[in-house]
Amino acid sequence: MGEYLSTTFDKFELRVRRGYSYTEDGLWISMEEGRVRVGVSDYVQRTGGDVAFVELLKPGSTVERQREFGTLETAKTTVSLLSPMSGTVEEANGRLVEKPELVNSDPYGEGWLVTLAPRKLENELKTLMSADGYFELMLKKLETEHKKLEVR
Amino acid sequence: MVDLPEKKVGIISCSGEACVEGTISRVATRLVLEKLRPEETVTICLPLFLAGGKEERAFAKYYPTITVDGCDKLCAKTATERYSGKPASSIVITDLTRNPGCSRSGRRKLDSGALGWAEKAAERIAKEVDGVLDHWR
Amino acid sequence: MKTTMQNKVIVIPCSGIGKALGSVSREATYEVVESLRKGVTETTCLALITSGDEETLQLVKTNKCITVDGCPLQCAEKNVKLAGGELAASFRVVDTLKENRNLKPKSVTFLDHDGQELASLLAKQVAEKVDELLKK
Repeated sequence: MGEYLSTTFDKFELRVRRGYSYTEDGLWISMEEGRVRVGVSDYVQRTGGDVAFVELLKPGSTVERQREFGTLETAKTTVSLLSPMSGTVEEANGRLVEKPELVNSDPYGEGWLVTLAPRKLENELKTLMSADGYFELMLKKLETEHKKLEVR
Repeated sequence: MVDLPEKKVGIISCSGEACVEGTISRVATRLVLEKLRPEETVTICLPLFLAGGKEERAFAKYYPTITVDGCDKLCAKTATERYSGKPASSIVITDLTRNPGCSRSGRRKLDSGALGWAEKAAERIAKEVDGVLDHWR
Repeated sequence: MKTTMQNKVIVIPCSGIGKALGSVSREATYEVVESLRKGVTETTCLALITSGDEETLQLVKTNKCITVDGCPLQCAEKNVKLAGGELAASFRVVDTLKENRNLKPKSVTFLDHDGQELASLLAKQVAEKVDELLKK
């Protein structure tokens, strides 16, 4: 079993990383010894476009689940980032200041956004989807919402 | 590797900026992608293809391609043959316009005449797309 | 196409066809070579450079080159470097976008107002660099 679930739409390969949990909006979390790392899915970066700016809450800020913790400004739009969990921001990915394109090139790795110290982990984990669940959702979205990914 | 969920045709345009025929080739390709055959086609970005773009090369390797070149230098066709394989069809804009060479005039913004050629070229590309897909089915 | 250009700055856009930023790179280049610095600049096809066209390679090896890339993939810069061109400067549309966050070019085939505006701003930056290079 590979690290990713993937599908091809037009010429683009869209991947969903196994082992992560997802919101319907395409934010992922990975668990790391009591804290969670947060990023966006391949689908979000692909449909959003080339990221020019990333704005994130500073470390020490608190955020509630489904509230905005940042934005991605791309060449064509601004994507609001809604937090998958309630908690305190421990770290914001400083590399994204100089290299916002990391969100596009490596959304599940170096393009991570923030780490959070979660406050309601157990309860809020239940609100998230597995990789398989998000993958199915992504397939449905591709079918119904996008004739083409590249005609923007 | 890439699976093949549906039948699509990749269009590779030279998009050359040195002459008007490059712009015609670019606009014609975009017209096919956006209006004439949006669900059946994909564009392959030639600079990215040449630079080794993984998705562009993978697509061109497994799906049929149509190349659209502005002039007889045939950059798109040559690159496709080199990195992926023979295209299913090749169109050269100077063959359509019957111009002997590449013209620098009007390359930035197509005038009505050149736009007419872009539309004709787009129709021709669309027919080639249909032909490729019929053959595939 | 005969090229007998010497002592000109060659401006090479990526002209990526899949994104509005590629169209902006192309338009900015035309603004420079056909308007702002006409006579001292010219453009050539990136594909000709990469395919090893003798005449084009000679052009980019004997004149200073400026690349204008749409996105961070920087295909023009990479390909000109690989071909041994004399790369004097490189620009990315996405950097001009960062300086002008209100502009959101959407259309690819025919640039919309924001795309035109972005191209115009970038063209001025490229033109300034051309002046710098010609002084040297």
